[in-house]
Amino acid sequence: MAEQSLLEAIREGLHEEMARDPAVYMLGEDVALGGPFGVTAGLAEAFGTQRVVNTPISEGAVMGLAIGAAAVGLRPVIEIMFIDFITLAMDQLVNHAAKLHYMSGGQLKIPLTVRVQCGISGNMGAQHSQSLEAWLAHVPGLKVVTPSCPADAKGLIKAAIRDDNPVVFIEHRGLYWARGEAAGAGAAVTPIGEAAVLREGEHITIATFGRQVAAALEAAAELAPQGISAEVIDLRSLQPLDMDTLVESVRKTGRLLVVHEAVSEGGIGAEIAMRVQQAAFYDLDGPILRLAAPFSPIPASSALDRFFVPGKAEILRAVRGAFRRQGAGG
Amino acid sequence: MAAMNMVQALNSAMDVMLGRDPDVLIFGEDVGYFGGVFRVTDGLQKKYGRERVFDTPITEGGIVALAVGMGAYGLRPIVEIQFADYIYPAMDQLISEAARLRYRSGAEWFAPMTVRAPCGGGIFGGQTHSQSPEALFTHVSGLKTVIPSNPYDAKGLLISAIEDDDPVVFLEPKRLYNGPFGGRPDQPAKSWAGHPDAEVPLEHYRVPLGKANIVRAGQAATVLAYGTMVHVALAAVAECGIDAEVIDLRTLSPVDVETIAASVDKTGRCVIVHEATRFSGYGGELCALVQEHCFYRLEAPIERVAGWDTPYPHAFEWQYFPGPDRVVQALRRVVEA
Repeated sequence: MAEQSLLEAIREGLHEEMARDPAVYMLGEDVALGGPFGVTAGLAEAFGTQRVVNTPISEGAVMGLAIGAAAVGLRPVIEIMFIDFITLAMDQLVNHAAKLHYMSGGQLKIPLTVRVQCGISGNMGAQHSQSLEAWLAHVPGLKVVTPSCPADAKGLIKAAIRDDNPVVFIEHRGLYWARGEAAGAGAAVTPIGEAAVLREGEHITIATFGRQVAAALEAAAELAPQGISAEVIDLRSLQPLDMDTLVESVRKTGRLLVVHEAVSEGGIGAEIAMRVQQAAFYDLDGPILRLAAPFSPIPASSALDRFFVPGKAEILRAVRGAFRRQGAGG
Repeated sequence: MAAMNMVQALNSAMDVMLGRDPDVLIFGEDVGYFGGVFRVTDGLQKKYGRERVFDTPITEGGIVALAVGMGAYGLRPIVEIQFADYIYPAMDQLISEAARLRYRSGAEWFAPMTVRAPCGGGIFGGQTHSQSPEALFTHVSGLKTVIPSNPYDAKGLLISAIEDDDPVVFLEPKRLYNGPFGGRPDQPAKSWAGHPDAEVPLEHYRVPLGKANIVRAGQAATVLAYGTMVHVALAAVAECGIDAEVIDLRTLSPVDVETIAASVDKTGRCVIVHEATRFSGYGGELCALVQEHCFYRLEAPIERVAGWDTPYPHAFEWQYFPGPDRVVQALRRVVEA
């Protein structure tokens, strides 16, 4: 099978959707130049600068313009360069994009895709490294998806563009150049709201998304010869959340570890813990564990990265701790 | 001591602090000449002058940005965002500047500022005047998030917030401004008159940040609530007769885990109540904490009563609002499990 990077997969998905539907167009800072990481490279050349439009540095205005365009029938895809700067577009996103379908009694649809990149990578510090998915998942009317591999990246960007609701598509910067199997030309969409069980296991479920999926798979491979069989779930969609897959898995394993790069407090791991304990309380053999960034701004120092970004070593420690805890207290 | 409603208690807190500390100042939309849309700053401009209590244009980002700069240079601003629903235009200033300043400057700079914002529903405000966005702030390190449920706490917590050297988001449940509300809109509205928590000292006092308050002791279950929902929880407990312990969290970040865990360790059952949208709301964090700390003491799944995952409706306000009936149902589920 052919391989490609996650960045190339997103680009291919955008290209196919723009070719398929003339209502799809792109807006954002430097998107006609390819964007800061090259995701949109070549699209302006292929579709013209009428459909791939550079904007001033004004996230609120970009979002507002796209919402209006979506309300009257276009399918804009906007890029917010860093998720940290979605703070500048929150009013448009929360009070307008997410609510217009509701407030108009269903008369308006907002088929808007908001691409943002997130995560800790490249020592970008407190204002260019956050993971804010839990905020967006808290807003009724928004969908939130985040891919961990090229095939899902392409399938989910296509699904996001075809969705009649505003979808926030979160790209982890640290995955842009990670290579994986390509979905291929004209590949099907990946349905929003479906998690993927990437490795089956019996003793503990590790639920995660984005860059931590690879770390979880590596940890699971290392645990297997030691007699701990871990099931790894890539959530892919955070809003809506695929509770059926999660609950079925935890009913089988009796344990759950949620891993994410956002700070633990108020992260999506909290919501998952709430829902899983409600649905699978009597199947749980130990507390649901969260492995996430500490409650702190993100440092610019690479020496501090390992204290902030969970990874294989931290997942191994957390899983082993879960089983030790059972021996000690449960 | 004087009998005060929550508006008067908050006003008194700011009056006391403006009088004590020349670095304290107030600004925001209509807070000066008009005294605030809910009258919380009434009379303060007249008493302290237009240099210290002043009106701004309708620009929430500008208001918070100005406060960050003033805080950094040694002032202690109190700003008002007219409705919490309109704090979104200020999110960048609040998260990327205010909450990050101490960290990014290696603690050379910090921003002692208080952002007051009326929140919550039950006042026929519809989708953009009823939101409870506390979960956005509790997810951000560098911010403290406070929400009072009565006049005494409101004054003491606001003074603590103003005196705190870091940014505090101070949410004021607007349904409680003029009286307690147990969640029954068909019953006559109550005022704070005669309520024990409406006896408020005229002078300076603090209610510490980060400390919850057990407002009703009980054995059968623990109810975690804040803001308006404290009164709804108390009404629900009174109606159903379940001997539940009701905890008013008062501060959401930092949260008082010790008080919460001690209670759930005792009761083995927990119901979390908030008005905000359920999904990824603050209840998720509370639940995760409770089951992390008390897993082996829990006798039943933790229940959550919250606003539905829709915008705050105009027409179906009381179907959205988590009233006492829903809290009673949740209490029955946890005790009967």
